[in-house]
Amino acid sequence: MDPVKITLDGKEITTEKGKTVIQAAADAGIDIPHYCYHPKLTIAGNCRMCLVEIEKMPKLQIACNTQATEGMAVKTQSPKVLEARRAVMEFLLINHPLDCPICDQAGECWLQDYYMKHDLTPSRFDERKEHERKREIFGPYVVFDGERCIKCTRCVRFFQEVTHTDELTVVNRGDHSTIALFPGQTLDNPLSVNVVDICPVGALTDRDFRFKVRVWYLKKTPSICPGCSTGCNISVETYQNRIARFKPRVNEAVNSHWLCDEGRYVFHSLTEGERLTSPMIRQEGGLVPVDWDTALQAVAAGLAANAPAAAILSGRSTNEEAFLFGRMMKKISPEAKQEVFYRERELTEVEKVLMSPDRSPNFRGARHMGVGSEAGVEPLLQAIIEGRLRSAYIVGEDLVSLSEDGENLKSALGKLSFLVVQDIRMTPTAALAHVVLPATHFGEKAGTYTNRRGRVQKLEAAIVPPAGALQDWEIFSRLLGESYAAPEEIFAVAAREVPAYAGLDYEKIGALGADLEAQKQ
Amino acid sequence: MAVAFSQESLKRFDEIVHRYPKKEAAMLPVLYLAQREFGYIGPEVMDYVAEIMDVPVARVYGVVTFYTMFNMKPIGRHHIQVCRTLPCALAGSERITAAIKEKLKIGVGETTPDGRFTLTEVECLASCGTAPMMQVNDDYYENLTEKNVGEILDRLK
Amino acid sequence: MEKILLRNIDAPDSHTLAGHRSRGGYRALEKVLREMTPEKLIDEVKASGLRGRGGAGFPTGMKWGFVPKDNPKPKYVVCNADESEPGTFKDRLLIEKDPHAIVEGTIIAAYAIRSHTAFIYIRGEMFYGAQVLERAIDEAAAAGYLGKNILGSGYDIDLILHRGAGAYICGEETGLLSSLEGGKGWPKLKPPFPATHGLFGSPTVVNNVETLAALPWIIEQGAARYAAIGTEKSKGTKLFSVSGHIKKPGVYEVDMGYPFKKFLEEDCGGVANGRKLKGVIPGGASMPVLRAEELDGITMDYESFQAAGTLLGSGGVIVMDESTCMVRAAWNIARFFAHESCGQCSPCREGCHWMEKIFNRIEHGAGRAGDLEMILSISGNIGGNTICPFGDAASWPAAAFIKKFRSEFDEHIAAGKCTIH
Repeated sequence: MDPVKITLDGKEITTEKGKTVIQAAADAGIDIPHYCYHPKLTIAGNCRMCLVEIEKMPKLQIACNTQATEGMAVKTQSPKVLEARRAVMEFLLINHPLDCPICDQAGECWLQDYYMKHDLTPSRFDERKEHERKREIFGPYVVFDGERCIKCTRCVRFFQEVTHTDELTVVNRGDHSTIALFPGQTLDNPLSVNVVDICPVGALTDRDFRFKVRVWYLKKTPSICPGCSTGCNISVETYQNRIARFKPRVNEAVNSHWLCDEGRYVFHSLTEGERLTSPMIRQEGGLVPVDWDTALQAVAAGLAANAPAAAILSGRSTNEEAFLFGRMMKKISPEAKQEVFYRERELTEVEKVLMSPDRSPNFRGARHMGVGSEAGVEPLLQAIIEGRLRSAYIVGEDLVSLSEDGENLKSALGKLSFLVVQDIRMTPTAALAHVVLPATHFGEKAGTYTNRRGRVQKLEAAIVPPAGALQDWEIFSRLLGESYAAPEEIFAVAAREVPAYAGLDYEKIGALGADLEAQKQ
Repeated sequence: MAVAFSQESLKRFDEIVHRYPKKEAAMLPVLYLAQREFGYIGPEVMDYVAEIMDVPVARVYGVVTFYTMFNMKPIGRHHIQVCRTLPCALAGSERITAAIKEKLKIGVGETTPDGRFTLTEVECLASCGTAPMMQVNDDYYENLTEKNVGEILDRLK
Repeated sequence: MEKILLRNIDAPDSHTLAGHRSRGGYRALEKVLREMTPEKLIDEVKASGLRGRGGAGFPTGMKWGFVPKDNPKPKYVVCNADESEPGTFKDRLLIEKDPHAIVEGTIIAAYAIRSHTAFIYIRGEMFYGAQVLERAIDEAAAAGYLGKNILGSGYDIDLILHRGAGAYICGEETGLLSSLEGGKGWPKLKPPFPATHGLFGSPTVVNNVETLAALPWIIEQGAARYAAIGTEKSKGTKLFSVSGHIKKPGVYEVDMGYPFKKFLEEDCGGVANGRKLKGVIPGGASMPVLRAEELDGITMDYESFQAAGTLLGSGGVIVMDESTCMVRAAWNIARFFAHESCGQCSPCREGCHWMEKIFNRIEHGAGRAGDLEMILSISGNIGGNTICPFGDAASWPAAAFIKKFRSEFDEHIAAGKCTIH
């Protein structure tokens, strides 16, 4: 690192050669207001909001395009700078529509925020505002409002530089400049909704989230996306105990600033629908609700009496759940074949920017925790279809619906002497079970996932499960005859028993995760 | 592709592209070539140009909408462009425009029903010493008067 | 007065190679190739005091000197023939009547910075001028002044004529480069500067037509002779385009330092139709207007115009007599800038149109108290805060018209109509 010392509002800061003033300031915790600058995109320098005063330079300079040089003295609060900021704010607002009451961006809008922080002067514009296209559907998830747009070109640059798909461009000239899709094209690449995140205003908004809830009502919980084994860091944002949306969290070691569309909306398919709220046992005429003790006794007895068993754990189970599940199955049914659900699929070039070719976010962690073998889950499913197993314990995957050979698997599962299904909804697989156990989904779990690259990351519970359901780890620990206060305690035990995780705890994992490889050193 | 260059235009396209150190620099001359061949640059032409130029079609779209001399819709056979900037305005360009509107019975930005003339106003054409003046397609007509502009238009079939 | 740039144009064959050569054309290029290293050439041009004639007036030799000599990237020279500054038509004259001087000058500039690929970027509307230049380039190539190993010197140089497509902003150096790269004419952020990161990221020099056309004479006659003409800071001659309410509009070649008022009244014949002079824009529409009373003592050079609160710019002299409504004139220019703003940065994109709207409203009788202060405020907020000098170019005339003709604006607003007619 080649250190460079500058002063920022009189305070001395040490930064690196090659960093711009805006980066140096950000590193020192000082936010110089900006719109078009984004740390992962090329410099556009068009919003002019980051103008600062630099000693010995007669004109104000944009902080995003000025290299920090030794001895540079920067002022971000001088009268000239404050005046320039107000001027830029005024220019951006003169044609801006009075949409706040109906705009989804309200509450997280940079025009609102900067106006409150850096402007607060009444509008002097008294002419007719320019009008532009509103509510233009760009793609399945993105809608565009040309009047709200401030032409910062972040969206254009994202599609040029991150996905290399080049869908958007700026057309026309002067104050008729606007963002456009080529006629007939759609914005449907797999990372399209990231531009909604990076759009500082309500010009690009999320169709799925549209008009659902005001952002200041959202409770925000940091967690990990359950979509695939990339393990993108997310913020699960909820309202009245329901997940309203995912937003990415920045983690340069995993997903940088991004989130794929599939992951972003995966909470719909993973959490919606009527929940199971009571354990059930099959009797004459169908499944009937029972209490937990009855159900768990039936599980233990049924598995013991019907060896050999197949034990298939969801790819979305946490490390803590996998750790307990593995030991629990060994105790109840020692010859049981245990696998974690994992299936690969083809990815397009754009998908490969972020996504992993699976839908099992914790397949790797589960393997570390002792569940599963090199053979994988497919041979085990085949064995079930061929009738070589007598019982099964399936956790969190609707195998009948997921299987290409659904009919055969369904009939094979139906022929098992004993089937336990632990899930959140009455799926077609659960409908075949002898015992059904109501559990939780990722949004209700605290725990850890280990991603494809061997990074251990924390989930936190964003919402509360329905009454009657139990956490998966609680079910496994009861079957094991052990007792834990919380997943953190389970992790502590696992860390002692699984060498790769030695020395790790929730604090070390922190908000951004811990790399197992780095742990070794 | 709905449209494609003729053999002759393809030859010309090759010549143009080879003149430049980088292919992308040939965008403007290629668009001119396309406009001459197809009459105007609509979405199909933009698609075609994007393909032969190896660039995303959005880039072509941005370029075509930026410059005044590319037409995205068909215009009249004779594009009358009257200069309206200050030196011509001082010399009476507004009277020339009014005379043309009167004669052709169209407004600024409009085309005669028979497709013969389109009238637009443009900015300074670097002919201020011979103001007022206009450009019709490729040609400058300078030192206009309300009388001679009518005669000029009559000669343009 | 010395005739340098216009010395050839009266001959009917001035645009041909034969005509050019018969009057000593390409002797300067031969001299450069024969006797001068690029360094010596740069020094000579520095010594001449030649300053860019497009509008910025930057010393040409110094600009060439900024190009890093040992940079491995290819170097480019671009002749800026995008003449679009309202009131300016001098480059067009040179293009149509003396294209070989431009070709020769471009090759000389290329040699100075060791460039082997040069461009002439001509505005799209100048179709005839492009034809003349294309023919001149073909003639020059056929005669061995362009191509490989020109005149047996071992130096290669390619010259490509490139037509723009209708955008004033492509006359701005980096807007031109963006356009030449095949994109919109969006100016680039500076730093880095074109001398190190220009066309395709390579070292590039952009020079105006008039600047390049002056080079052959400077080389042949020597820098000292050029520097002997003009004033201390403004050497040589300058072409002034004169238009508006003047008896003899046209292009004039003037020794720098010539008295401005004398120029208008005598050389240009004075105001037409026996009317009185009201105001003059001296350097193209971007430059602050001068009241008739302010002309005394001004000489036609960079320093004097600057001291008078305006700038020489492109030398586009727009003459306005007492029949001119200054409100309408100001609106006309504001409308021009609003139309030509590229739209990239917020102050210019929004501010130029805002000013146009207010001027429009005032001109058409709906002006309000506070409008003029509003325009002055907007003008001040645009200037200095934009990516390129277009912002300044748009803000200066708006402010200048109001400041210089304040009472006329006030009356126009109060009366709800023009008080001149």
